[in-house]
Amino acid sequence: MNSFVAGYIPLFDLYCLHVGLALSQYIVLRVGVFSLATAAFAGIGAYTAGILAVDLGMHPVIGVIAGTATGMAAAIFLSIPLARLRGVYQAIATVAFIQICLSLNIYSENLTGGAMGLNNIPKTVGTLTLFIFAALATYLIWSLEKGRIGRAFNTIRQDEAVAASLGISIRKHQMLAFAISGALAGLFGGLEAYHSYAIDPKQFGFHLLITILSYVIFGGRNSVIGPLVGAAFLIILPELARPLAENRMVIYGIMLILVINYMPKGVADTAIDALKARKLKARGAASS
Amino acid sequence: MTALQLTNLSKSFGGVIASEAVNIEVPAGKIIGLIGPNGAGKTTIVNLITGMLPVSGGTIHVGETDITHAPAHEICRAGLARTFQNTRLLSEASVLDNVMIGLHRHETSSTFAALLGLPSAGRETQELRTQSMELLDRFGLTEFADYPAGGLSYGHQRKVEMARAVATDPDFILLDEPIAGMNDVESDALADIFRGVAKDGKGVLLIEHNVRFVAKLCSYVYVLDSGRLISEGAPDHVLNEPLVISAYLGGDDA
Ligand SMILES: Nc1ncnc2c1ncn2[C@@H]1O[C@H](COP(=O)(O)OP(=O)(O)O)[C@@H](O)[C@H]1O
Ligand SMILES: [Mg+2]
Repeated sequence: MNSFVAGYIPLFDLYCLHVGLALSQYIVLRVGVFSLATAAFAGIGAYTAGILAVDLGMHPVIGVIAGTATGMAAAIFLSIPLARLRGVYQAIATVAFIQICLSLNIYSENLTGGAMGLNNIPKTVGTLTLFIFAALATYLIWSLEKGRIGRAFNTIRQDEAVAASLGISIRKHQMLAFAISGALAGLFGGLEAYHSYAIDPKQFGFHLLITILSYVIFGGRNSVIGPLVGAAFLIILPELARPLAENRMVIYGIMLILVINYMPKGVADTAIDALKARKLKARGAASS
Repeated sequence: MTALQLTNLSKSFGGVIASEAVNIEVPAGKIIGLIGPNGAGKTTIVNLITGMLPVSGGTIHVGETDITHAPAHEICRAGLARTFQNTRLLSEASVLDNVMIGLHRHETSSTFAALLGLPSAGRETQELRTQSMELLDRFGLTEFADYPAGGLSYGHQRKVEMARAVATDPDFILLDEPIAGMNDVESDALADIFRGVAKDGKGVLLIEHNVRFVAKLCSYVYVLDSGRLISEGAPDHVLNEPLVISAYLGGDDA
């Protein structure tokens, strides 16, 4: 039994890390910004934390805080030119940003280790730490969602003109969403660095972008449950059988095509909507 | 007494002049009509006032405050609210949520409290919910509170939009053809609500096609044709002017 559990711990670690990144992706989509920059922010956080630990021997707490701060700073910086773009142009610009980060990373070999990556990072983060941070991130997004900021985000996503006519500042809220997205990605990037001994540039590229986006699209974009469910499904499912695990990306592709076609809102949101509709119907029947 | 004041307001789209030196005053506590044939430039004026289109010339004042070039969300905070000619609700959100957003302008809990879900933020949400339910009650929409707004009839959707605009607690409210597509019973109910809003001391600019409805409600009427004001004054006077009648009938000398 114990060895059975132990076998799944790496999977649980991965889940906690990716929940953090999925929430980072989720929060920008939530405010109507089609940014895909989470992978880049995660890389910035991971390398900041890694370099501080390896080159300067800093305490991991400082490293994680610095990773969070640089991820957030990069996001706020990126939000300024992005505010002028909409939709697919934002996506293109953010993919370009990921590419720029990758190139700079490989180019600054002295600092980052270039294509070889950064090695010998002391492992200071374990399963419990990851779990606590994933839970905190979930709480943060959940509480934000049910209050004033969540309402403003929803309005902006659905109709910017209406939002402005009701006194909601689009720029301020989109920048806030970016700051949160960058901070979360930087934080979980930093945790990843301290959890895995080594990081390399490829880890924070196109592959990660697709993986994270899949979680949110699969799970749903309108409630915090979406990314949690999406990450759980897409991480566990391929593990059920060896051949599936070897073709993880193929499985993701097939499942995404199915979900986008049959449940465009994602698995969790579709379920939540169905529950709500049923409740209203039951009440309607009771009152008539 | 404050007023919403448009002075020589002008706008052109490329070569097309959508408004030309328009002067309109909406005093607090009054319902002012703005009528004119399709394409006269009525909606454009609402868009200029609310900052959804940049102004080409002239000024817009709320009391002493110049809002001519203020961004849209600040214009709302200066005390202006509008409805849209083609109702624009958040169609997937519930009726209650649609009205609650209108109260955004008055939310005071700090960003920090909202982020961390502190009790002060929770209390505020609760408070807003109560206020929104009161508004829904006033508009006769209580039974629809939990339904998605997009599923309601046009008449009800317009009322929800009106409730949302009133929720911002504006000093001036701009209504762009609010009774289009409604039957007489529905429009009479709305007329009572407009009168109530004006009685509360708010200025109302009512854009409407239905001349009878305007005559019944407004104390003063402006008539717009091809971007220019061709007449203004008390309704029974204005609506009998040959120039106005011909603009409506579309002929030059009717
Ligand atoms: N955003 C816009 N861009 C270009 N032309 C516009 C725009 N909005 C309105 N117009 C033009 O301005 C004129 C007035 O339109 P509008 O204000 O909608 O009239 P009304 O509301 O009185 O029916 C029309 O000729 C219309 O085509
Ligand atoms: Mg119009």
